[in-house]
Amino acid sequence: MKRPTLGIVTNNRHHVFQRNIIAGVEEVAGQRGCDVVVDSIAENPRHPRPVSLDIPALAGVLVISNVLSDDFLRDLYHTGKPLSLISHRVPDAPIPAVIPDNREGIAKLVQYVVEECGRTRIVFIRGDTRQNDAVQRERTFRQEALRYTLQVNEAFMLDGEFIPEVAAASMSRLLQSRADFDAVLASDYLMGVAAVEVLRSAGRRVPEDVSVVGFGDGQEAEAAGLTTVAAHEVELGRRGARQLIGQIEGLRIQGVTMLSTELVERATGKGN
Amino acid sequence: MKPAKATHEQLKRHNRQMLLRAIFSREVNNRAALAQVTGLAKPTVSDLIAELIDEGLLVEGGHGESTESGGKRPRLLEFVPTARQVIGISLEPNLASGVLSNLDGQIVARHYASLSGVQGEMAVMLLIEAINGLIAQLDAPLLCLGVGVPGIVEHETGIVRSATSLGWRNLALASMLGQRYEVPVYLGNNTELAAMSQLAFGSESGVRNLVTVLVNSAVEVGIALDGAAYHSGGDIGCLRVDGGAGDDGRLDSFLGWDYVQRRAGELRRIYPDTLLPASDLTYLHLRYAAAHDDPAALQIYEQLTDYLAQVFAWVIGLLRPDHLALAGPITDLGMPLLHLAGEKAERLLQPELIQAVTFSLAGSANLSAIGAVAQALQNELGILS
Repeated sequence: MKRPTLGIVTNNRHHVFQRNIIAGVEEVAGQRGCDVVVDSIAENPRHPRPVSLDIPALAGVLVISNVLSDDFLRDLYHTGKPLSLISHRVPDAPIPAVIPDNREGIAKLVQYVVEECGRTRIVFIRGDTRQNDAVQRERTFRQEALRYTLQVNEAFMLDGEFIPEVAAASMSRLLQSRADFDAVLASDYLMGVAAVEVLRSAGRRVPEDVSVVGFGDGQEAEAAGLTTVAAHEVELGRRGARQLIGQIEGLRIQGVTMLSTELVERATGKGN
Repeated sequence: MKPAKATHEQLKRHNRQMLLRAIFSREVNNRAALAQVTGLAKPTVSDLIAELIDEGLLVEGGHGESTESGGKRPRLLEFVPTARQVIGISLEPNLASGVLSNLDGQIVARHYASLSGVQGEMAVMLLIEAINGLIAQLDAPLLCLGVGVPGIVEHETGIVRSATSLGWRNLALASMLGQRYEVPVYLGNNTELAAMSQLAFGSESGVRNLVTVLVNSAVEVGIALDGAAYHSGGDIGCLRVDGGAGDDGRLDSFLGWDYVQRRAGELRRIYPDTLLPASDLTYLHLRYAAAHDDPAALQIYEQLTDYLAQVFAWVIGLLRPDHLALAGPITDLGMPLLHLAGEKAERLLQPELIQAVTFSLAGSANLSAIGAVAQALQNELGILS
């Protein structure tokens, strides 16, 4: 009998986040007797191409982040094809998803920066505000600042778009303005790594002068010694695969499965 | 009337629970010691342990020390918390919130589904689709299901007598879910399950009598007495704290979230420069503004602590708990709220009664779902007593 095939749609299968998720999906798919095909549709972000998967031939589809438009996802969901989203949600559509616990993760980072590192003048680098993850992380940062009675300085809310180069440029502009800050919290770890590089290039000591932390974790964070919180990305893939296979096997699922985050303490947090 | 005799099956279940409890609590870890502490005959212990090993709930580890009189060194027994998993899910007015747990209470997955505006059969269907979200994530066979409901639940029969926000009356929810998933299903009221969660997995040790006061739109108390849920807690929002007409004198009219929002609106007209935002107000805004001596926030804070103190005094005066936990989004106001309400309660009751109680904030968003796990584990394996 033909093995069921799971399709994965992502922007770029070679990026660390996506690569880890795909590894998790492949692991569970292998255990459950399924094959996996990956469609990496935006390896050139300026010229994304249409989905090339033969969707009717697939047992189900996993979509990583916001690589497809919400309308496309709604239409796909309404065909009845089993569909799960990873790290993305579509407003007003009951498409099941697996997401990291953004609230818990950002709350842990703010708690760490304030209580462990003793910092109060925190710069926040936001992600791509078209993505649910970015919106939730920024909203939580603003709420958690209230918990510690910290005033959010709008000049410290930087654009990063989940693109390290954009985050680095925003950080450079802030440094040129001679702003007085003592911590940077980045909405993802690659932007955090970029902030560390910019700060050190400008002669600011990390972590002695400025603590830097980021959401998510990967080899780049480890190499830079960046303190992070992370939901295990491979586990996101595993849980996504289980959710999709559950649907293929006949379970009707609504809602989101949420993964906890853990603090990964390295060198960029505490000054002493 | 003479009490009915226990059936063979009930007796066996009871004996299995005694053995599991003794091993889970690390009281003893070999067959001879189990026979000694439980009073069961050695062959009975051996048969039941063999059964539990076959089912994967126990494994044999190394050998222990031989007794002073010598003899064979006993085989040590270990509980296997990953042998089965339990789903706990709580239904709130707008959300189904579920957890998948190992047998030691370790949460391995969480799942949430919106219930916005859904009632009746549609709410049952959405509950099932939320449970399915966790069924898909199982790493081991499902042992049982626990469900928390915002309403009146008949624990023994598994019938929801009344859950207004879900439009349920006399709904045989436990048997409905039991038939679908082919496992035992245990129901409870959300707030009593929140208390169970604190009792089973909370940080307070040695607590036997515990009350959880849950404040959101409603005000509810959950009670755990002598290590088990007391199934007659629930909504106390209708209690009168003021002589106003109609619903104006109700406790929830002064302590619930709706009151905070309404009062903030009124005070904004008096204090237009208040730090409390006109939209998307949260308890954290109130905390921030009160810390900056905002007069509107301080007034609300004063009123909340007054009524919270009243609730604490009632609860402590009536039930004399060892521990009182405050739960719900109001916990975002932090420990100062608890301390101030405790101090005010001392003025309403003999101070020594208040001072005999420890207080904590139970801020977890999954408190009732975790309590549903605790109750289900207690009923099924008896491993939390």
